[in-house]
Amino acid sequence: MKRSWWSCDGRGFRSEPPAKRPQPAALESDLPSRRSLLVGAALGAIAWASNRSALAQVAFDPSSRDRGVLVVVFLRGGADGLNIVVPYAEDAYYRSRPSLGIDRRSLVDLDGFFGLNPALGPLRKHYEDGRLAILHAVGSGDQTRSHFEAMNAMERGLPDVRQGSASGWLARHLSATEPASPSPLRAVAFGSIMPDSLRGGTTAIAIESLQDFRLMIPKGAAAETIQARLRDLYRTGSDEMAIAGRETLDVLDTLNRLTPSEYRPSGGAQYPDSDLGQGLRQVALLIRAGIGLEVAALDKGGWDTHVAQGATAGWLTYLLEDLGRSLDAFATDLGTAMKDVTVVVMTEFGRRVAENGGLGTDHGRASMMMVLGGGVLGGRVLGMWPGLEPDALEGPGDLPVTTDYRNVLSEVLQRAGKVDLGSTFPGLEARPVGLFG
Amino acid sequence: MGAGLTAGCGPEARKLVGRGLPEDLEPPKGPVEVPLRLANRLGFGPRPGDLGRIEKLGHAGFVTEQVAADHEEPLHLRMKARSLEIDQFQPADLEGWPEEYVIRQLQQRALLFAIYSPNQLRERMVDLWTNHFNIYARKGRAMYRVSKDQTEVIRQNALGSFPQMVKTSAKSPAMLGYLDNTVNRKGVPNENYARELMELHTLGVDGGYTQTDVQEVARCFTGWSIENRFMHAKGQFRFDPDSHDEGAKTVLGQTIPAGGGIEDGERVLEILTTHPSCARFVAGKIVRCFLGDERLPWTDRLAEIYLLTGGRIAAMLVPLLESTDLLDGPPIVKRPFDFLVSLLRAVDADTDAGAGLQAHLDKMGQPLHQWPMPDGYPDQAGAWTGSLLARWNFALALTHGQVPGTHVDFDALGRRTPVRDLIPASRPAKDVEDDRDHLALLAMSPDFQWR
Repeated sequence: MKRSWWSCDGRGFRSEPPAKRPQPAALESDLPSRRSLLVGAALGAIAWASNRSALAQVAFDPSSRDRGVLVVVFLRGGADGLNIVVPYAEDAYYRSRPSLGIDRRSLVDLDGFFGLNPALGPLRKHYEDGRLAILHAVGSGDQTRSHFEAMNAMERGLPDVRQGSASGWLARHLSATEPASPSPLRAVAFGSIMPDSLRGGTTAIAIESLQDFRLMIPKGAAAETIQARLRDLYRTGSDEMAIAGRETLDVLDTLNRLTPSEYRPSGGAQYPDSDLGQGLRQVALLIRAGIGLEVAALDKGGWDTHVAQGATAGWLTYLLEDLGRSLDAFATDLGTAMKDVTVVVMTEFGRRVAENGGLGTDHGRASMMMVLGGGVLGGRVLGMWPGLEPDALEGPGDLPVTTDYRNVLSEVLQRAGKVDLGSTFPGLEARPVGLFG
Repeated sequence: MGAGLTAGCGPEARKLVGRGLPEDLEPPKGPVEVPLRLANRLGFGPRPGDLGRIEKLGHAGFVTEQVAADHEEPLHLRMKARSLEIDQFQPADLEGWPEEYVIRQLQQRALLFAIYSPNQLRERMVDLWTNHFNIYARKGRAMYRVSKDQTEVIRQNALGSFPQMVKTSAKSPAMLGYLDNTVNRKGVPNENYARELMELHTLGVDGGYTQTDVQEVARCFTGWSIENRFMHAKGQFRFDPDSHDEGAKTVLGQTIPAGGGIEDGERVLEILTTHPSCARFVAGKIVRCFLGDERLPWTDRLAEIYLLTGGRIAAMLVPLLESTDLLDGPPIVKRPFDFLVSLLRAVDADTDAGAGLQAHLDKMGQPLHQWPMPDGYPDQAGAWTGSLLARWNFALALTHGQVPGTHVDFDALGRRTPVRDLIPASRPAKDVEDDRDHLALLAMSPDFQWR
């Protein structure tokens, strides 16, 4: 089955309303529960905000308070877009995946053509409420099918890794839009290693746990002298570690005014006890604290499912359950505050259409992306679907890329406010994706 | 303070910087003191007394000694290493042991040797190759197999033959399991090992292979698996002829005739490890490890030596390590493992390298054998800027006796050598009276983050 479609009109590009794609279920279907949820969220926010009066004294450019927050979740290892957002109307899908194909009856139907992996059930309401949009057949121009090349390209915001700047796309975005006195917590990577997307001369910081982000001066040590001398040691110096040291000290000052342990999520949100869940909980905390967070980067690894991928049980299910519950908790916790927050879920590439001999899939080309919150015109699967018949596939049998991931990110950045697309995605030929209508 | 610690920003210092670093960031400046640089580059930094010894040996003398790597390991290190059970059991016999217990011992071994072995260059190469042939110990049964892989693949060949290392790795159950070759079978190939073998172990991503080559190499390795039959030596390498694709294959333009059996894979390993791209890739990796970037003349020269000597690692190392470029080049950022080991060495710490110490390495972001992807821990400075706070906290905890299982004897240390000679810091902390605080600050300084 070969089919082209775009989900939005009036933007000057080919618009072909899909015959088989009915409107998503009524947008306001669960309005009562949603409303009570929002009230709960607002109350929670007030309760916690009253605990942080000292925060008001944190000095940073107030204009950055008006900026949106961008949360980037990178699924490392090449997430299998075809089993995450399943083209169940394609016979070729089931033919190529006799063991791994997910029965359409188990899927969460999205539009009569695609269905969501049941492990992502918690995202259903966000899709139906129109806060979550999904893009399919998205990817980069990287042809190597190498994790490292493909990630490198994406994190640097390049068509492929063989050209362009060495710095990360988020780093360039932040540099190009830097306010007069930037918050030390303007960009945070949750983890111990700085992702490539934030590398290259920005004020990003990597934090594993806000609660543990403390200088632990042992009893008996001259605490004040040590702190003062440490500051002296890092006062000058233009190498990466010296710069990072100054930033770390600034962040310590800011976080000293926060009490992360007292943060209580709103709306009954329950974050999973995973790195991603706890990372998003901390992002929510920083957003609530209003200390000038603009970009948060989180990783979730383990998507390189060459073996034991499974259909409705197995490794992929395990990963997706955490992804779904974490994103759901985050959106629920932030409630109405999500209007200024955009979450992007991306991965370096998708996987081969046909399954391999180990109940898994090998490296492929296009995958899917998700965009949640931030005024997204959701409840839709966007992109141009190339089909899964052999003649539609690329190379060894891979879903071709029909949407450049950078066009998705551009729209998200534009929506978030101030943006310099020329420096963030140099040479990008803008092709509207229609995320925000 | 200390030798060679004047804050320099004159033309001499300027000359040292600016190479191989992104954008306009600069490494710290300061004249390079030869013995310190040698101890930092060839190994994991000096212990008390090392600098004088290196000075006496001279640059070339120290390189010769380290390349020979024939120092007997000290008794206390042998005792500590011998107490590790992971080396006394076969992988199959370790199965079922508590995960954390096995992983702790794996890290213990790596730490103990890096801290205490006088064969420092070998330990640096072990770190380089462990990351080059990275295996994530938490995937499947890998943790039970990594110890044997470390001994037979990495340590055995660290300064020896690179092709031999690749060939041993290809039959290492740890690698076969980690990169899914155990499920690579006739008719339903799995490309994981084939791809990483070419991309990360031998040719490099620009090495001239195609997606078709990946698929053909995967076919050549069908049937390379792990013994799991009843009454056989479980957990060893096994070639299963029933799972092997006996058709003809073409790899990098060379035909591999039908019916080759296990020789298909062996032929592939031969093709790859004698390929000029492999020579360049390995040369580049070594040059980056010791000079901080892949300076072309050195990469070219080492690649040439690789091809002339059939991939002898020591032969590649000698001219590079003896060169003045090693002394003059810009500093290289210490990864957390490097930072932690160099600090323990500088203060001559007595450590069991157990859970107490490992918790700090974990917080800094480099728990050993636990990088999930096959490319190993990153070596760019930019990746590690987030680890500073954890480094500071380690320095504070160590100097104040708060790392369980680890002890620093300040009295003995003070008598033997001024510690500050081992730790360069451009800005003295005059008003810090306590030795421990002073030492902590030296280790927390920006300068100590570079080697």
